[in-house]
Amino acid sequence: MSDIISVGVAQIRYSSSPSVLRTILGSCVGICIYDRVKKIGGMAHVLLPVSQKTQVNPEKYADTAIPLLVRELLKEGAKKENMSAKITGGASMFKFGSNIALGQIGDRNIEQTKLELQKLGIPIVVEEVGGNLGRVIDFYLTDGHMKVKAGGQEKMYYKV
Amino acid sequence: MDQNIKKQIESIITRIDQLPPLPEVASKVINMVNNPDVSFKQVALEIPKNQAMTANILKLCNSAFFSKGKEITSIDRAIVTLGLKEVKDIVLLVAAKPVLDKAVIGYDLGQGDLWKQGLSVATMSRDIALGKKRKDIADVVFTGGIIHNVGKVVIALFVQQAFMNILDLVQSSGITFHEAEKSVLGFNHQEVGEKILEKWNFPPVLRSIVRFYQDPELAPAEHQFEVSIVHVANAICLMGGVGIGNDGLYHEMKDQAVKKVGLTQNELETLFGRTPDILKQIRDLQ
Repeated sequence: MSDIISVGVAQIRYSSSPSVLRTILGSCVGICIYDRVKKIGGMAHVLLPVSQKTQVNPEKYADTAIPLLVRELLKEGAKKENMSAKITGGASMFKFGSNIALGQIGDRNIEQTKLELQKLGIPIVVEEVGGNLGRVIDFYLTDGHMKVKAGGQEKMYYKV
Repeated sequence: MDQNIKKQIESIITRIDQLPPLPEVASKVINMVNNPDVSFKQVALEIPKNQAMTANILKLCNSAFFSKGKEITSIDRAIVTLGLKEVKDIVLLVAAKPVLDKAVIGYDLGQGDLWKQGLSVATMSRDIALGKKRKDIADVVFTGGIIHNVGKVVIALFVQQAFMNILDLVQSSGITFHEAEKSVLGFNHQEVGEKILEKWNFPPVLRSIVRFYQDPELAPAEHQFEVSIVHVANAICLMGGVGIGNDGLYHEMKDQAVKKVGLTQNELETLFGRTPDILKQIRDLQ
């Protein structure tokens, strides 16, 4: 059995092969970044797109969590040119009132995540986002593949 | 609709002994607290009759979630220090945990997931009530939040058999998961939950929360505020991924409910942003 590390809401976790990083997503977005040479990787589980100055937890927001995760991976010896990202989650409530802006939070999280990864120059190799299902994510640091379980079905993504 | 499944569910909810039981003390205390003629002494005498529960109740009284600093060593002290309503909530937590703290396979929820979702919805509902200066109903929406999903533990077995039919109907007809539940199984988990609360002899406002938390506008007018709070808290917790099952976010968050509670867009986003803090808060109740 490989070591399973649980990534909570608004948390960043990183480790190396053969660990598995696991999280559960609704409208939050999970960002899995992997260095295919060093075989180390990390996951950010972001709740909201952009941090407010008064807020203190940088792991909660796409615009602060993603750069932070990349910095941590670089400290561990990863190299940016060997990194790739898989993004997942960002589901929406099936129906929400026309006055409820929070209904779009999943889409806003996805958009901000893409923007941050683009700024950092990290390519997105897998996008499994949107829709209305919750997702259980397992990110395997042996080779960077990702398993997504949604609505009782499993999908595997091997591209790194 | 699958007639066979409908019949089986019908036979379960019409036969009281087939529904999950709750220790008698919990229903008694809930109704005593609602009755202005009952003194706190009577409640203090009632609880210790169930010794096994009393030990767990005192443990929760001293948890970080409920404690006011001073150590509580008796039910008398608990009522004086924390208040009657708080102690009632604790009694219910202890009584309901065995019913809700199990795997709910039909919804693909592991052991503890449904319980955790109830605790999160309860805590967020309480926060909403307090934020709207409605301390008077904070305990009611807390209790309602804990048990809003209780019907799932009974109906899960049938949801498991019919899951693909329910999901297909959701996706082909554009209706929510609980509407499809009703359409495929003849019942949804809210109706089953209401039956369970009848068996437990719970007060009307809690029955309304369980029955209408997905459709607060259908609740009796005098309960709509409470039901709307739990509606919003449930939607936000699911969006945060807390206790999210194979029904995912195939639900609805309704304008009327948000308006009824008087929440602004900013307040909604702040509540959503508080999800990690709520998960931290409830850790010692799990």
